[in-house]
Amino acid sequence: MADASPVELTDVDKQRFRDEAIPLLDSLYAAALRMTRNPADAEDLIQETMLRAYRAFDRFEQGTNIRAWLFRIMTNAYINTYRKRQREPVKVPQDDVEEFDLYQELKNHDPQFSITPETIVLDSLFEADILTAIDELPEQFRLAVVLSDIEGFTYAEMAEIMGVPMGTVMSRLHRGRKALQKRLWHLASEKGIVKPGNKAGDDARRRAEAGEQ
Amino acid sequence: MPAGERKRESNEPGCRLKDECREVLERTYLFLDGELLSVSERVEIEGHLEECRPCLERYGLEQELQSLLAKVKKKHVCPEGLRSKILNLLDQT
Repeated sequence: MADASPVELTDVDKQRFRDEAIPLLDSLYAAALRMTRNPADAEDLIQETMLRAYRAFDRFEQGTNIRAWLFRIMTNAYINTYRKRQREPVKVPQDDVEEFDLYQELKNHDPQFSITPETIVLDSLFEADILTAIDELPEQFRLAVVLSDIEGFTYAEMAEIMGVPMGTVMSRLHRGRKALQKRLWHLASEKGIVKPGNKAGDDARRRAEAGEQ
Repeated sequence: MPAGERKRESNEPGCRLKDECREVLERTYLFLDGELLSVSERVEIEGHLEECRPCLERYGLEQELQSLLAKVKKKHVCPEGLRSKILNLLDQT
């Protein structure tokens, strides 16, 4: 926890913090839950983040992005404190993640598959499955996916929040999404929603490819 | 835009994409993520998506996945108890 000396903020700044930071609690909480993967740690992380931010608010440059600033503080607090307490997530094998191709899997499953609002097979996955799949991602990938796909930060903001170059952000995001798609696909298979890699699909695909070339 | 980390060999085993498709697909992520692209890059991507159905469908799939994830956010709001605890903490700080 931050030091206990009284905060040196003007009344105007104190009020501004309440007006600008407090409304972001929902957004911060949703991300904290995915970072810590349990509500008790998420609450602790949010409290620590808000206290740290409040104490540092006189150094926050007005007019810049307060949401990104709070997320950077939260990410640092998470990495420095909570991560050490937690068990490592279940490891998703990463070796072949780059090779995973959800679109091709769907085509193998159903050669007629095409994207329309009604045909999205992943819609039949429950939200709990999606949360499970995110929570099982290795930490750095999970963070990238949460910041981009759940919180909607730009690559540049993510680089700032995660303290890494933009190329690293993009690489982690790409691999995180692939790993997530692979996990979702396996969950869908386990539930019998799809049967991956069936022979009919493979044959149809080979025919289709031969015809294209 | 640093793209080196994402580059892959186009002739690796299991690769079913043409080079042109691969290049376009890598950039569709920038497109989907709302990252800035030059006008000529956008025109190039849109042109390719118009004439290449598999790429258009892959693009649609990625779009679906993104909106699926975006829904997660709305499900979790900060508990009222935590919100008032934080406001109390600020008052005491």
